[in-house]
Amino acid sequence: MHERAPALLKGMKLTARLLLCALALFVILGPLSSLVIWSLAEQWHWPAMLPQRWGTMYWQKAFRGELMTSFVTGLEIAVIVTAVVVVLAVPLAYVLARFRIPFKALILVLFLFPQAFPALPIFANLSTLFYRWDIAGKMSGVVLVQVGAALIYSLWTMVSVFQSVPRVLEDAAYAMGASRLRAFFDVSLPLAVPGIVASGILVFLYSLDEFTGTLLIGSPFVKTLPVQMYLSSMGYEMQIASVTSLIISIPGVLFLILFQRFLKAEYLSSFGRI
Amino acid sequence: MNHSAVLDGGRKRIWERLLGIAVTLPPVALVCTEYVYPFLLSVRSSLQKNGRFSAENYAYALSVYGQDIVFTIFVSALSVVLVLILSVAIGGYLTLHRNRFWEFLFKIPLFIPFVVVGHAMRTFLAPKGLLNSLLSQIGAVDINNPPSFIYGAAGIVIALTWKQFSFALLLVMSAFESVDHSYLEAARTFGAGTGRQILNFLIPLSRSSIGVAAVLILTSFLQNFSVVMMMGDSGGAKHIMVDIYSIITYLNDLPLANALGVISYLLALAPAILYLRGELTKHA
Repeated sequence: MHERAPALLKGMKLTARLLLCALALFVILGPLSSLVIWSLAEQWHWPAMLPQRWGTMYWQKAFRGELMTSFVTGLEIAVIVTAVVVVLAVPLAYVLARFRIPFKALILVLFLFPQAFPALPIFANLSTLFYRWDIAGKMSGVVLVQVGAALIYSLWTMVSVFQSVPRVLEDAAYAMGASRLRAFFDVSLPLAVPGIVASGILVFLYSLDEFTGTLLIGSPFVKTLPVQMYLSSMGYEMQIASVTSLIISIPGVLFLILFQRFLKAEYLSSFGRI
Repeated sequence: MNHSAVLDGGRKRIWERLLGIAVTLPPVALVCTEYVYPFLLSVRSSLQKNGRFSAENYAYALSVYGQDIVFTIFVSALSVVLVLILSVAIGGYLTLHRNRFWEFLFKIPLFIPFVVVGHAMRTFLAPKGLLNSLLSQIGAVDINNPPSFIYGAAGIVIALTWKQFSFALLLVMSAFESVDHSYLEAARTFGAGTGRQILNFLIPLSRSSIGVAAVLILTSFLQNFSVVMMMGDSGGAKHIMVDIYSIITYLNDLPLANALGVISYLLALAPAILYLRGELTKHA
């Protein structure tokens, strides 16, 4: 009896542990598997646990119809937004990281401030402005609203990228007679490239997943996948919405799998917003 | 020193300054037009009724949507508490017992966009969703009268917690990593188990990082739009972002939406202000 008690306790502990692991797996993967099953369900009547008829009908539908157009639109917007944001953010981040400039504190507040406020009411008022300027419901309007938002989120990672480039190297370049511009292009920029690429990828993913701004500014003419998904989900087109959800999630999950080991908290923190 | 060289240096300086201004101005102008100006517009419009200065929009917003404001605070606060408990417990465990599989698994929600989380939870938790049909297999749920997990507070809390738990875990674990591990070794030598090490060492030593994470996440819940929109409308209390959107699209009453919007600005700022005040009084 005395010897069996610890063994029993051990067994109970092990069972509790296995149950916890199973629960964690179920909680994380349950909602996602629900998406996968819905996307492959050609016929699914309650209360069957699984669909009566499986098939790829809705996936095929997705690749032919409106969904493909939205996908391409979203991709085009994401490419433009990423390019513009990198071009705007890199020099500004460098200037903020290196130099004492007038109104620096004000500029920093300007780029922190919008993060503290809900986007919806701001964009609702922005959309009245965009209507006046005739860019609401157009690609240019959606690009503009996303560039603003992505700029705010990416500037901080870019500033920290440039801060991590040792200043000594630039000083060495100056000592050799290089101008500031030359030091930037030949020394700092090449060293910052990995960080810039990482934050560029994050901007790209952000743009693909952006919902609020695109819905408010782009509707009803510019539809990206998240907006399309919202519309089909509200219309109870569960299969189409699930296929769209999975397509939207693929780039982010691929990114996770490919770059798992390099992902640092500072880069990933922008994901808290997508 | 040669006079022209000095002049040349001066000219270079001005040239560099101009370049600095040239790269700073466009982003600053963009943020001013897209955030600061609409922000000011929203405040002004919220204070106007029929072209005159008035607080009527606020009175109306508070009387009609007051319950939804309370609901928003309630679901956000409850979610953030759940997120913190889960992320500290699991983050602490994984810091002390590294496991790459579970670290990967718990990172997944971070990469699933908010909109997708909303829809996934809708299919999963709906009365006729996967969860209920699984539960009915083991007899835990009555098929003819399935419970609804999706509508009202429960659905939103589950969806928000599921998504941001992952983000919190990331922040919490990076704070735990930076705790000096010799403390933990010392604690282990004296027989402290996993729970003791988390409660008595990891949490107190990373209190400020956990506080910052809590503020960030609470703010993100208070301003969340995509998840609460995707979860749909149950007819009961709603998140105020859903209210703002429906006031704009269905009632077409921008001043009223803006009054609720300004209230949402204040709500979103509150956690940061409370946190900073707490920090200041602690150090004073």
